[in-house]
Amino acid sequence: MALRGLVKTFDAKLAVSGVSLDVPAGSFFGLLGPNGAGKTTTLSMAVGLLRPDAGQAFLLGYEVWADPAAAKARLGVLPDGARLFDRLTGPELLAYQGLLRGMDPATVDQRARELLDVLELGSGNRTLVVDYSAGMKKKIGLACALLHAPRLLVLDEPFEAVDPVSAALIRDILQRYVAGGGTVVFSSHVLEVVERLCDHVAIMSDGVLRMAGTLEQVRGESSLEDVFVRVVGGRVATGSELAWL
Amino acid sequence: MTATPAVAAVSPWPFVRLKLRLIGNNLRGRPVRIVLFLTGVVVAALLAIGGYAIFAVPGVADSARAAGILLPLGGAALVLGWLFLPIVFFGVDESLDPARFALLPLPRRTLITGLFVASMAGLPAVSTLVATGGMVDTAARLGGIGALVAELAGILCGLILCVTLSRAVTSAFATGLRSRRSRELAVVLLAVLASMLGPIQLAAVAAAQRAEWDAIATVARVVGWTPLGAPFTLGLDVVADRAWAVPVKLLIVLVTIVLLLRWWAATVENAMLGGVAAAGGRAAGASGAPVDLLLVRWLPRTAFGALVSRELRYWSRETRRRAALITFTVAGLFLPIPLAMSGGNAGPTVLLIGAIGAVALANQFAYDGSAYAANVIAGVPGRLEVHSRATAHAIFVVPVMVVIAIVVGVVSGDAASIPARFGLLVATYGVGLGMVLPLSVRAAYALPASTSPFAISSGGGAAKGLLTAGVMLGTVIVALPLQILAWTLGGVWPWIGLPAGVAYGAAAYLIGSGIAGDLLDRRMPEVLAAVSGR
Repeated sequence: MALRGLVKTFDAKLAVSGVSLDVPAGSFFGLLGPNGAGKTTTLSMAVGLLRPDAGQAFLLGYEVWADPAAAKARLGVLPDGARLFDRLTGPELLAYQGLLRGMDPATVDQRARELLDVLELGSGNRTLVVDYSAGMKKKIGLACALLHAPRLLVLDEPFEAVDPVSAALIRDILQRYVAGGGTVVFSSHVLEVVERLCDHVAIMSDGVLRMAGTLEQVRGESSLEDVFVRVVGGRVATGSELAWL
Repeated sequence: MTATPAVAAVSPWPFVRLKLRLIGNNLRGRPVRIVLFLTGVVVAALLAIGGYAIFAVPGVADSARAAGILLPLGGAALVLGWLFLPIVFFGVDESLDPARFALLPLPRRTLITGLFVASMAGLPAVSTLVATGGMVDTAARLGGIGALVAELAGILCGLILCVTLSRAVTSAFATGLRSRRSRELAVVLLAVLASMLGPIQLAAVAAAQRAEWDAIATVARVVGWTPLGAPFTLGLDVVADRAWAVPVKLLIVLVTIVLLLRWWAATVENAMLGGVAAAGGRAAGASGAPVDLLLVRWLPRTAFGALVSRELRYWSRETRRRAALITFTVAGLFLPIPLAMSGGNAGPTVLLIGAIGAVALANQFAYDGSAYAANVIAGVPGRLEVHSRATAHAIFVVPVMVVIAIVVGVVSGDAASIPARFGLLVATYGVGLGMVLPLSVRAAYALPASTSPFAISSGGGAAKGLLTAGVMLGTVIVALPLQILAWTLGGVWPWIGLPAGVAYGAAAYLIGSGIAGDLLDRRMPEVLAAVSGR
């Protein structure tokens, strides 16, 4: 994945100002940033969900905004929030995704069953996705992104609101996926997860890419948390405010 | 904590200010919405002035008899309008959703008062007040200052009645549809309410045709003693030296209002507790292959089949869509049948029904909200998307239209006209779709994330109402050639009506869906952004 000078403004607010980023094939890439840094906006522009005001995005060599069909066919996305057709049951949702991507029905059945079993969602589960817990929603979203065996996965906050057991499962699946030659890009503000999983990291704040490189390059001698707080410029509590608490 | 701190009495004004602020913020920096809002203001002003003029006519003409007919019947029509228009066409402004106040330490009385006063601060209420002002004008001209005072008190009560009735019924209905179990009850309730319109319409049309003014005057007198018409006849009773009737009627109205407020308060409490609780239950079940679970049996195992199946499931599983289908069915059956029974021409209303059906798709992408992202990521071609959505909707709507055509034909004793009438229905539905589909791509707007089927974003009522009216007008105009053809051909029409109607509708649909599909190919991310509503 390669991004070239992506810019997006909402009304008068500059959400992302000229982000350029290279994600090497086969890497496990973590996009870090505080809330409101523009991570979701950047990833949305990269995968073809949000039209950038300027700039280009290349996925596996295809330009997303010039040749969307070719780029999207090789891409799996877990969008932020509850962006799923949640009035379907889990199996129905997977079948929908598979057929939508023009897959063979028999393959869809086989893979969907396997994904539901591995992710412990139950292939006979008739509960609507809207009634799933937050962790189950993330897992079914991940299953949707994996179903067509994409070469590139873009995940927005995959570990948010997920319990430790599910998180370990998701981590495991993603690590195997990268070991098998896939590329994962995900956003997060949980530093521990990023430090444990990723070989490449980028830090964003206020719509600008502050740092990017391999984990070792970015981290240097200190810890990732120190680097992050220094780069983003967090406020240090003096102890005098909120005294009434 | 032993003693709870005394909750200071909260006046209703913060609610009004909150509502006005919400309207203001909604308009800020959005020229399209400002234009829509101003159009709404102009329409409301025209309606208000028109209403005032009509209700003032008996006074100017110095006719107590005309006043005795017009005021109770016109007032009752207003009340019924307040009851039905929000359900059928406009939706309810839920910007002050009771659930949002659940965490505040507000006594129920304060909350209800606040919500009530806030709903009075809106265009419909102001416009109704001005229109009924014409009644005060009439009463004053006929009976002097005493009648003026009585009628003024009457229309104020009338307005309160309108607002309370509207809020109570929509609130109860929304809670009813929200919990899946009681939705059958809500359907029956709506059907019963709508069927009440039928006989009234029937009687009115029949009586007006035969000009039986005595009969109408009797009806008006009776209506004047029901809660519907009572508030609007107080002044007339003073004019007719029946001052004793004024307190009695006031009592009727006030008791009605109190009962409605009680009912509303009860449903609001339900809404605050969140009626979504009834979930779970069907965890285990048939474990067929996922593809078979998704697809409706006779649909192809392709992307088209998947899209249509998902849409079908959504029309039956999502409350907003379900409400749209129910509304269409009820409106379709109850608008033309009374006309047909009284021997009138049901043709024009048939034109409207096709349009009402199509309007459900005018903002179709907003039903999905941000879930539409899944289709954008998968890169569904525009025409495929549009065709599959229209197909799924037609699978629900066309059978209903068959039933409407048959029932209207049988009731009017003209069975030979059934195929041609069905043809006309298909034609208007096709024309309606042809106009609505490009709109749904070009003018998509986000719906609030509420589960209430009648919720619209604040200020969105004007948009939806205008859109509906515009589409209906356009449909009637575009389908006019077919109507003219039907009239001029006369005897031959029942034979060629069906093929001609289907061909006309199909042509209009193909043009519209083609435009919509191509437009969608270029605007997918924009549509997604429009319906996601940040």
